[in-house]
Amino acid sequence: MGGQQRVYRQRIRSTQSLKKIFRAMELIAASRIGKARDRVTAAAPYAKALTRAISAVATHSSVDHPLTTERTDTNRVAVLVVSADRGMAGAYSANAIREAERLRERLIEQGKEVVHYAVGRRAVSYFNFRHREMAGQWTGGSDAPTLETAREIGNTLYEAFVAPAEEGGVSELHIVYTHFSSMVSQEPRVIRMLPLEIVEGVAEPGEDVEPLYDFEPSPEAVLDAALPRYIEIRVYNCLLQSAASELANRQRAMNTAVSNAEDIIRQYTRLANSARQAEITQEISEIVSGADALAAS
Amino acid sequence: MTPTAKTAKKPADATPAEAKDAPATPVTGRVARVIGPVVDIEFPADAIPDIYHALTVDIDLSAQGEDEGILHMTLEVAQHLGDNMVRAIALKPTDGLVRGAIVEDTGAPISVPVGDVTTGHVFNVTGEVLNAEDGETIEITERWPIHRKPPAFDQLESKTQMFETGIKSIDLLTPYVQGGKIGLFGGAGVGKTVLIQEMIYRVANNHNGVSVFAGVGERTREGNDLIEEMTESGVIKQTALVFGQMDEPPGTRLRVALSALTMAEYFRDVQKQDVLLFIDNIFRFTQAGSEVSTLLGRMPSAVGYQPNLADEMGQLQERITSTRGHSITSLQAIYVPADDYTDPAPATTFAHLDATTELSREIASRGLYPAIDPLASTSRILDPRYVGQKHYETANDVKSILQRNKELQDIIAILGVDELSEEDKIIVARARKIQQFLSQNTYMATQFTSVPGSTVPLDETIEAFSGLVNGAYDHISEQAFFNIGGLEDLEKNWNRIQKEIG
Repeated sequence: MGGQQRVYRQRIRSTQSLKKIFRAMELIAASRIGKARDRVTAAAPYAKALTRAISAVATHSSVDHPLTTERTDTNRVAVLVVSADRGMAGAYSANAIREAERLRERLIEQGKEVVHYAVGRRAVSYFNFRHREMAGQWTGGSDAPTLETAREIGNTLYEAFVAPAEEGGVSELHIVYTHFSSMVSQEPRVIRMLPLEIVEGVAEPGEDVEPLYDFEPSPEAVLDAALPRYIEIRVYNCLLQSAASELANRQRAMNTAVSNAEDIIRQYTRLANSARQAEITQEISEIVSGADALAAS
Repeated sequence: MTPTAKTAKKPADATPAEAKDAPATPVTGRVARVIGPVVDIEFPADAIPDIYHALTVDIDLSAQGEDEGILHMTLEVAQHLGDNMVRAIALKPTDGLVRGAIVEDTGAPISVPVGDVTTGHVFNVTGEVLNAEDGETIEITERWPIHRKPPAFDQLESKTQMFETGIKSIDLLTPYVQGGKIGLFGGAGVGKTVLIQEMIYRVANNHNGVSVFAGVGERTREGNDLIEEMTESGVIKQTALVFGQMDEPPGTRLRVALSALTMAEYFRDVQKQDVLLFIDNIFRFTQAGSEVSTLLGRMPSAVGYQPNLADEMGQLQERITSTRGHSITSLQAIYVPADDYTDPAPATTFAHLDATTELSREIASRGLYPAIDPLASTSRILDPRYVGQKHYETANDVKSILQRNKELQDIIAILGVDELSEEDKIIVARARKIQQFLSQNTYMATQFTSVPGSTVPLDETIEAFSGLVNGAYDHISEQAFFNIGGLEDLEKNWNRIQKEIG
């Protein structure tokens, strides 16, 4: 009986200290998320301008640049998964990885061979556990990505894309990241970054009509110079979005964890109380009946 | 039986019993006091009956306007109080017993018929046949007193052999011992009685010796069902049943296990047979003891139990044992009050057993039957020396996976299953499959589930579980493991599920 009470008390104590950790993590995530969102917005104008420039080159020149045309010499496809370094973010990493797995299945169905690139420890350990080779992995700082990391990732991917088939070149480049739509909704998304898809169609007649360009020295040179930067900024954007999503997920997960912990504490407190009461009742009845028995004899 | 066997019961001031040679005319005394099931009786100073001796008294119930006529009652001497008084426990309700009623000393302890005549019959605690047809008489050749000495130490069986039941969870995790004592612990309504009946079905039907069943303080209906079932299957011909159910006074419930045990002992010692002894429920024996304990003037001990709890249990349990070459394999159901295993009654019983099977409410509430708790149940022979290396390792692996799963449950409850590492996710998945696979279709549950029972050979059980532990069945979904027998069933079930999913 007494043992039972001790067990409950101990579980309450350990759950209480867990709750404190979860509460702290929730607060940290909440304080960081604002900054992460600001970074997403701050990076947007440059990304937008660069995208416009690239699409201008791609549409206005009819050059046959390798970056804009489908490669046929290899069936290898690069997939970059962006996940978190740490857990405690609910299903954030699991969702991104699940999306990547779906993409992988789709690609394998199309007869492609998938080359994995992973950002964040969760994705790395996922692939390691399944003994899948990764062509590149970046860990650390998933909740506050730097431009340097993005540049490194961008370069690696770009090099893989331009490399010849026999040296492990890839024909496509996909990124799986978590899109940050708002504080309550983030969903994993897949974008195909390379080769660029030229959308045939009539551009909407907006106010900013695209001017006619003349490329110097040549459209190829412009594309060669701009594309690595474009990849880099797109990767950076994905990392920032994912970081914001991670923090939002973490805040939410920790919030649930705190209330779950509170539920458990409440439950165990009730059990501990009734164990305590049972013990008291029993002791009293034993003493009383013992005394009665003595008095009667 | 000498009074020295239970010195604890004898007050210091008691005069030792003198009347060794039974007199020609029965010694009579008169009732001096009636306190529920305990009766004080005054005897002549030179003819005090021995402790454990049976006394008889007739109660005339017709005087009370009831037409039941005369009730013949047996009492058993429990204490010598001094001043020519003895204190006796009644084996029938004492309603209608009056002061001054004449009590006869039979000069011998309660005895029950033994031998082949007992098989196929149902008895009460004093050895009266309950299921005799009208006019049928039973030729009783021999009667043995119910209080006996346990076999001497040098007579005990030292060999250890496993006893296969065909129930996966039992064979794997709590292997039973041939000629051993097996306890089925469980709170109210987790399936103790059903499991013991299942074992009777499985074991008694394929057993070529005799079986003895003791119904101690359980539901009368269950006893009736059992008799009915045994008659149908024909097992009753080699089974003796002794009942002292809930409706009986504590004196009966305290002694009925001894009556059945005495019959079993005769088969073992005289007829040199292997005997199966089923007791449902040994806790009621303890409970009956505690019901009369205070009335006998003993000070209640922890949780209100009798102070000689361990002694009383030891007296009974030490007799249930196997002697050289001849075994009593006993299966005892043990009720656990309020699911508290530290309660003195189940705690005292633990020490006597070779294998303990604990039934858990949590598993029963998930619909997994038999609801055996794989972590709490254990057996003395779960040891590579007795069951072999492979069996031992498989059982340990299963336990460690389930243990790890249990530890992870807290994390899952707070953070969710996605937070687990990859290794842990696999462990949780396997643990869930193991839990499902530990359930099994039983013969007793056929009427509820309309799935006939299954018997799984030990080798197949070990093979299936070691495959599960090593991940050979990771591709099979969890529900395919539910309520099935061996690997063949698993395959069939999995094919069916795959077809249903499409």
